[in-house]
Amino acid sequence: MKITLLKSLFLLGAFICFSGLQAQTVSGTVSDASGPLPGASVLVKGTTNGTQTDFDGNYTLNNVADGATLVFSYIGYSTKEIAVNGQSSINVTLSEDAQALDEVVIVGYGTQVRKEITTAVTSVSTEDFNQGVINEPTQLLQGKVAGLNIVNKGGNPNDAPVIRLRGISTVGGNAEPLVVIDGVLGQSLQNVDPSDIENITVLKDGSAAAIYGTRGSAGVILVTTKSGGANQPFKINYNGQFSTQFAANQIELMDREEFLAAGGTDLGSDTDWRDEVTRNAVTQVHNIAATGGSEDANYRVSLNFRDTEGILKNSGFQQFNARTKLTGKILNDKLRVTFNSALTNRESDFGFNEALRYAVVYNPTAPVFGADAPFAFNSPQFGGYFETLGLFDSFNPVSILEQNKNTGVTNTLNYTLDFKYTISDALTATLTAGEQKAKGTNRQYYPTTSFFRGNAVSPFRKGRADFTTFENNNRSLEFYVDFNKQFSEKFKLGVTGGYSFQEFDSNGYYLQIGDFPPGVDFDFSNAIEVSQDLLEAGRIQANSYRNDDDRIIAFFARANATFDDAIYLNASLRREGSSRFGADEQWGLFPSIAVGADLNKYLELDNVNLLKARVGYGVTGATPRNVGLSQTTFSVANGPNGFGSAATGLGTRAPNPGLKWEEKRELNFGIEFAMDRMSATLDLYNRDVVDFITEVNIDAAANQGFSTQFQNGGELNTKGIELSLNYDVIKNDDMSYNSGLIFSTYKSTLEENTGGTRTIANLGAPGQNDTNVILVKEGEEVGQIWGPRFSGEVDANGSPILVDLNGDGELVTAQGDALAENADFEVLGKGLPDFTLGWTNQFQMGNWDVNMFWRGAFGHSLVNAFRAFYEPRIGSQSSYNFVNTDLARDDIRTAQFSSYYVEKASFFRLDNLSIGYNLDLGLDYIKGARISIAGQNLWTITNYTGTDPEASLQDFGPVDNGAVLDTSTPQVLAPGVDRRYNYFTSTTFTLGLNINF
Amino acid sequence: MKRIIRSTYIVGALLLGVSCTDLDETLEDEFTTEFSDNGVQVIEGATEGGGQVPAALQAAYGRLRGGSANHGGYYSVQTVSSDEMAIGQKGGDWFDGGIWLRMHRHTYGSANGPLNNMWTETYAGISEANLALEGSLTAAEEAQARTIRALFYWRLLDTFGRVKIITSSTGDAPQATRQEVYDFVESELLDVLGITAVTASMDLSGSALGTDADPYVINQYAALGLLAKLYLNAEVYTGTAMYNEADWAASYIIDNGPYQICGEGCTVTNLAKRPAVDSDPENLEGYSAVFAPNNQYNPELIWAIFYDETSATGMNFSQMNFHYSTQLTYALDQQPWNGYQVLEEFYNSYDDADARKQASFLAGAQTDFDGAALLDYASDDPTLVVEYTPEISELEPNSPRQSGVRAAKFSLQLFGRQEMNNDYPLFRLGQVYLIRGEARARAAGDWSLALPDVNITRERAGLPAATTMDADTFLEERGHEMFQESARRTDLIRFGKYGEAWWEKGASDASKTIFPIPQDQINASNGTLTQNPGY
Repeated sequence: MKITLLKSLFLLGAFICFSGLQAQTVSGTVSDASGPLPGASVLVKGTTNGTQTDFDGNYTLNNVADGATLVFSYIGYSTKEIAVNGQSSINVTLSEDAQALDEVVIVGYGTQVRKEITTAVTSVSTEDFNQGVINEPTQLLQGKVAGLNIVNKGGNPNDAPVIRLRGISTVGGNAEPLVVIDGVLGQSLQNVDPSDIENITVLKDGSAAAIYGTRGSAGVILVTTKSGGANQPFKINYNGQFSTQFAANQIELMDREEFLAAGGTDLGSDTDWRDEVTRNAVTQVHNIAATGGSEDANYRVSLNFRDTEGILKNSGFQQFNARTKLTGKILNDKLRVTFNSALTNRESDFGFNEALRYAVVYNPTAPVFGADAPFAFNSPQFGGYFETLGLFDSFNPVSILEQNKNTGVTNTLNYTLDFKYTISDALTATLTAGEQKAKGTNRQYYPTTSFFRGNAVSPFRKGRADFTTFENNNRSLEFYVDFNKQFSEKFKLGVTGGYSFQEFDSNGYYLQIGDFPPGVDFDFSNAIEVSQDLLEAGRIQANSYRNDDDRIIAFFARANATFDDAIYLNASLRREGSSRFGADEQWGLFPSIAVGADLNKYLELDNVNLLKARVGYGVTGATPRNVGLSQTTFSVANGPNGFGSAATGLGTRAPNPGLKWEEKRELNFGIEFAMDRMSATLDLYNRDVVDFITEVNIDAAANQGFSTQFQNGGELNTKGIELSLNYDVIKNDDMSYNSGLIFSTYKSTLEENTGGTRTIANLGAPGQNDTNVILVKEGEEVGQIWGPRFSGEVDANGSPILVDLNGDGELVTAQGDALAENADFEVLGKGLPDFTLGWTNQFQMGNWDVNMFWRGAFGHSLVNAFRAFYEPRIGSQSSYNFVNTDLARDDIRTAQFSSYYVEKASFFRLDNLSIGYNLDLGLDYIKGARISIAGQNLWTITNYTGTDPEASLQDFGPVDNGAVLDTSTPQVLAPGVDRRYNYFTSTTFTLGLNINF
Repeated sequence: MKRIIRSTYIVGALLLGVSCTDLDETLEDEFTTEFSDNGVQVIEGATEGGGQVPAALQAAYGRLRGGSANHGGYYSVQTVSSDEMAIGQKGGDWFDGGIWLRMHRHTYGSANGPLNNMWTETYAGISEANLALEGSLTAAEEAQARTIRALFYWRLLDTFGRVKIITSSTGDAPQATRQEVYDFVESELLDVLGITAVTASMDLSGSALGTDADPYVINQYAALGLLAKLYLNAEVYTGTAMYNEADWAASYIIDNGPYQICGEGCTVTNLAKRPAVDSDPENLEGYSAVFAPNNQYNPELIWAIFYDETSATGMNFSQMNFHYSTQLTYALDQQPWNGYQVLEEFYNSYDDADARKQASFLAGAQTDFDGAALLDYASDDPTLVVEYTPEISELEPNSPRQSGVRAAKFSLQLFGRQEMNNDYPLFRLGQVYLIRGEARARAAGDWSLALPDVNITRERAGLPAATTMDADTFLEERGHEMFQESARRTDLIRFGKYGEAWWEKGASDASKTIFPIPQDQINASNGTLTQNPGY
């Protein structure tokens, strides 16, 4: 039908007009102010006929109708449309456009033109990424996306950061955003080298994320990796970074003299323990990428190597990563096949964070080595190191680091196959199949001479080796069909519908074995058959786990309609099922709708490019962290000594067959405004997390003695404002200066709390167990630090005198009364910041460019645990060092939690400063080169006396005396506790080199 | 179009080998069905203790271990609330929000964590027994399971008073009065004994319980022991005295049971003897043998909780009680926590000649594995020697690290693990004599009637026979015999002494003799639980 029409038109035209509507070839060059633009897209408007410019910015496009219009576009530039009008050569200069209204943005299951997006979406591309040593992709974004909070407290290179989008999105589910890499759900960010990333798009609100249903509650991070371009010659890019890192802020301690003056026990030496366990760390990163492409196929292959040292001695990792992306077109360009694969090998030296903790509290007069002890000390038993035996929770930190090993190897493989078939101009079908396989082994070895976990103090049973293996597979298959049609000048419609299947398998085991021959210098973790534990009952610890059927299945549909090129409507619906719920509660329905309008099209304000108002509502869900919570399980009770056979008994948790989806309902209102030099986006949102999954106290008598159960136990409301502003202060051919500010604030309130009012976040041993410092109460804000207030006065015992807050004449400050009606407890601070700021500055002049980035969080407080435990001058514990901040008082001699240990931790930080220079070498074989210097965490303005004023967004509880911290269940309702196990912060300087061959 | 979508679904599902909407999940690493009833085999002939427990009751018996001899539950509450022991705040250590100070001073409230632990662990035991009772059991097994459950309900009766009587593994019940809980425990025990009342001439031939002397399997004497204890305290629980019944139940055990007082010649090897220390005895004899790490099948044990360092864990006295450095005396696996301290007055009330004083405490200057002085390098005292002093200068805030002698009746063994091997008596013959003596004295209002029974325990302790007796001396005698066996709080209440002031504890109200229902439980109960008076 269409062809016939075209043909008749053609014939008609031929008759009427000699210069006629002939198809022809058009070629030319696309460039920007500084020269040719490779990889720019050239498209015949209204068709799929298009190409990309080659390395020199040249393009050739066949089959262009004479009256056609060509659309020239490039990410970050204003799109231009030029009518062909018989020209066979069209050269175009695109101008940079900070607003990039026509930029194509990746959204869930497809792309959208930026101005048509009606939801809260932020897209950040290569040129806007953070500079310096970037160990993890999210570091590229820190401070760049309003509402996205990325915190790696202390900055341990082996720790993944905590990522929170718009605060707490879920209580019992996974609070980390869903990561989608090149269209494949649920992949690991650790498997993408930051240098391979082209763009990261963050779907912030419910209406944007609803297409991802259950896993979209915490937001979605869409990562697009770099790819080769069509018709590009072979090209190599090298990027190298060399950096040095050293400890930044540290909490004030006593030195030898101060410690002795305070009554400390003199062990005869003078040791700076923190100096002993930290170092100036050196890191190097090398990335090499090769790209190229022909008409039908293109490729990009990259190799990345990073050798990262932590400032803690013997900590860091080496990572090797290879990534391949191949795209080819067959069947008359109707079928596009993309193959993506990545292989990552990471060898980690986790080191022991405990060494940092014990370096803070270890006696500064204690010697490192036993030979220097002031009394007879059996050094060989402890590997030559000194140990203060007989003191709880005290280990020589140097011995911990030097004698023990804590290493791990993880191999991750991703592959994705993506088929996109163009059925007609309006209809395409896409099938994506992908798998991520991660396998690893972690090992710890504590030799027979290690007091820390190696049991060197035991006369016989010494030494220990731990092995942990894990294998996690994540398979997905998604199919969707896209229909797009411009029905009339005024109406365009896009419809997407599809199916998604995802399955997670995991299994692993743990083994702990010990009792190795003492006095033998050998790594027995390589020869555990020597272990005497094999000969004695009950010594070996072993366990295994396996989950094979953890599945999420979904059907989804979405419609995007555009009216009059100015009014936009997006709606989506997802029906999703998860195997983690009870049989009757597996399926949930997650709708969204959003509308937006470019008001400027009607108002036609001067100098205004865009004035868009949009409003969206979306429902997303969250699954519980663990599988099987709905099912009844039984434990196995073996008879003592293997006699009496075995019986099944009560399981380890109370099942809840009625457990259902946690739902997040979010309303978002946004305004986008753009002028030539300025752009602004404002988002207001209101989100309700209903039926959130949480561990609720239950009546033990009626529930088999179980005192808690996972239930849909409450409702959480968060209201927030996000603002981002961008201004081109200077913009001319010689010089530019762009300044951007993001601001975000939110308030989370516990609207309903089935679990009842309670306090959580126990400070821990020594001496402060049953001391919960965070209040969880219906109707109140999340993250209130709760405790008695210190009057400033101290009694004769050295106990701080607390304030009779309610003035009833009775001082009720015991922890057991924390919630009593007459308790003298109050809110001592907020764990979550009032607001956060990010301030970006980009200067460019000639070949020079400078980036300066400031970041801050304001209004939050932290419980300074180091102070709470070790600042009081406790006589009977005088072998711990004393913390000695500006707030320390010599007259406080007992440790009892109060407002005194809660500090305001607002900060403003020069997070990143980088200076770059583009070299003009004039060499044939080097097409471009750039050299840069960057500094990270350079200067922090804060009154907080601990190491890092960064807000603590979640809590893992206390750990003591060499036990291993359990990080499997973060408590998101307990922000605000600065624990004793946090890594030390560091300052980094980086030299970067980038060469294009 | 539709056909394409459909066929793709099918292809996709085939690729993955599952139906495209299948969300059934098999928990590969959990048991999701019971296997208890599937013909499990009992291996006969166990000799190390705990061996004759029927397979179907392993889980229920196992629940007895929870809280009975570790930190934070039943044992801790019974002990720290009495005048036996306290956990002093040692500077920055052991303050723990003041919960243990308040436990000792009887200023506990409904938010006290250990009380909640005690509540939940007891109900977990009850549910385990209920679950077992819902399976197919022999009559003897059923009687044992009901006795276990009755023991847990006796603990609830004694501590919280008004609780829910739950008799199925699912389901709820209203909060009963203390009288109702008492009646339930009594009727359950009478029922398993096959009688309707305890009398001087009762016939237990109708009981499903056996009479074999296996302290790890409940027999008639174990159930009678519990009944005797219930009757001894009946006046406290219900206001109605049942001293004759207590006497008859105790007498039946003494007269018919196969038990003996472990006295002279009743010895076990001393597993704590250090090779280089000559003063450490080779053997433990008499009283100390009853509680030793190798006390399995001690002839005095009627009903004991079987503990084992590997297969029946849950006894942690070696961690709870001792100074960190005591690890080096016995070469213990783990560093102790330096918590529980024995009150000076309690320790000093023993006669120096009392064998139980030697057997029950670690006191004085300590030595290490080789017999040399045990040093505490972190000590303030320049001599550095660890010495457990009877004197405790203060309860808080700076109770000295080495002050207070330490409870060591459940004695240590060299190279001991965090988990101990000593079996924990719930009922033993020495205790039964004291129940009988007290019951006879109270029934007649004449304490001299207790003398014959009391002198049996005194004799074993190497003490001369007492010739006079009153309530106070009887309580003191009972305290020495039953130290560290979770009896003291109940005894103090029965003798009207619980509310008296001692050391750093002030006088406390009578309402404190019953603990508050844990607030967490009340909050979670939708109004089905109400608080006890006085809280």
